[in-house]
Amino acid sequence: MIRTVNRVLLGLAGLLLVVVGGAVLATGLGLSVPSWWPFDGKDDVLLSRADRTRWRDEGWWWPTVIAVLAVLVVLALWWFLAQLRRGRLAEVLVDSGDGEGALLRGRALEGVIADEAGAMDGVSDAKATLTGRRTAPRARIRLLMEPHATPALALRGLSEGALTHARTSAGLDELPAEVRLNAVKHRAERVN
Amino acid sequence: MTEPQDPEKSTQRLPTVGPAPAGGVLEMDQSASGSSYEPAPTQEKPGGRAGRFWSGRRIPAALLALIVLGGAGLLLYDIAAVRADHPAMQWRRSVADDLASRHLDDVWVLAGSALAAALGLWLLLLALTPGLRALLPMSRRHAGVRAGLDRTAAALVLRDRAVEVAGVQSVRVRMSRRKATVRALSHFRELDDVRADLDTVLGTAIGELGLARPPGLSVHVRRPAKKG
Repeated sequence: MIRTVNRVLLGLAGLLLVVVGGAVLATGLGLSVPSWWPFDGKDDVLLSRADRTRWRDEGWWWPTVIAVLAVLVVLALWWFLAQLRRGRLAEVLVDSGDGEGALLRGRALEGVIADEAGAMDGVSDAKATLTGRRTAPRARIRLLMEPHATPALALRGLSEGALTHARTSAGLDELPAEVRLNAVKHRAERVN
Repeated sequence: MTEPQDPEKSTQRLPTVGPAPAGGVLEMDQSASGSSYEPAPTQEKPGGRAGRFWSGRRIPAALLALIVLGGAGLLLYDIAAVRADHPAMQWRRSVADDLASRHLDDVWVLAGSALAAALGLWLLLLALTPGLRALLPMSRRHAGVRAGLDRTAAALVLRDRAVEVAGVQSVRVRMSRRKATVRALSHFRELDDVRADLDTVLGTAIGELGLARPPGLSVHVRRPAKKG
């Protein structure tokens, strides 16, 4: 969800800057502007004293300004803190079949997946993170491939090995996974 | 094979086995050989369409949130202070004076608005484009698994395959999102032969990358510069 929120808010902020900056720029460069344009011409100013103090004497003006600013501060704080959350899953609900169920620590399942993936041929290191909800976990996996590993084979090994084992052992119907493959930096090996 | 061939060189491509034919001197003059291929057509995979990876845009969002937080917080603090009969901060007076006195063709106003418009375009670009250009989507052969291959990793794999071809001294691979450009230096064997081997080996290697949209391949082989 936070991904969509980020995109929408970044887009809105960008649109606002483009519209305001573009309007000022168009007037300042002396382009002909329509009559409803907020600025009258080159000699206009950004915010005149009359505009700024227009509602100053009204009773609702300062409470409104303060309320709007306060809401803005709270929303910005929430938005910033939301970027720091990783959404990592603490535990996975395992259906034990007797109607009670069991809780599996997320870290344990992550460790098992990472260990099995890292032990594969051609993989030098693997990291796994569980996200999502505890009844429907999702996995994020990073593989670091050794020189001369084949990406398609490494991915197949991961899907049919570690991921399938984790899914069946935790009794999950599905375990959607996002995998990113990187390679260890190395020099070209001369063979002839 | 569809590589373009100069008519005068076509005699060299006859399947002759053994020592170099009479045109050997001509062949030694050849200093480069190249070919390029369009990417293979993509097939739909059972796991679904392999779309681009979309970045979460956390860092730009965090920066923008901090800027808004700082600006709104400072203004809120100052307005509340003025309400409580404290004098306004100096910056707010001078900003208000500048806003009311500088005309729109003032150079600072023009520069500021241009900067704001450019920044706005940049933010719009961030909001609308997927990002993560370094991550090439892999084809979804396995149900429920979405995978991406790092672009430099793909280039490393191609380079490792290319240096195993006989006659190749060194290889540089440039991997763009659509095309892999391989430049090899060959110190022995005929350049066309080396290039044909590279074409085969790299074609297989690109298949083994398992990418959703296999990149096109462009191979160039040259002789290393003569020493002295």
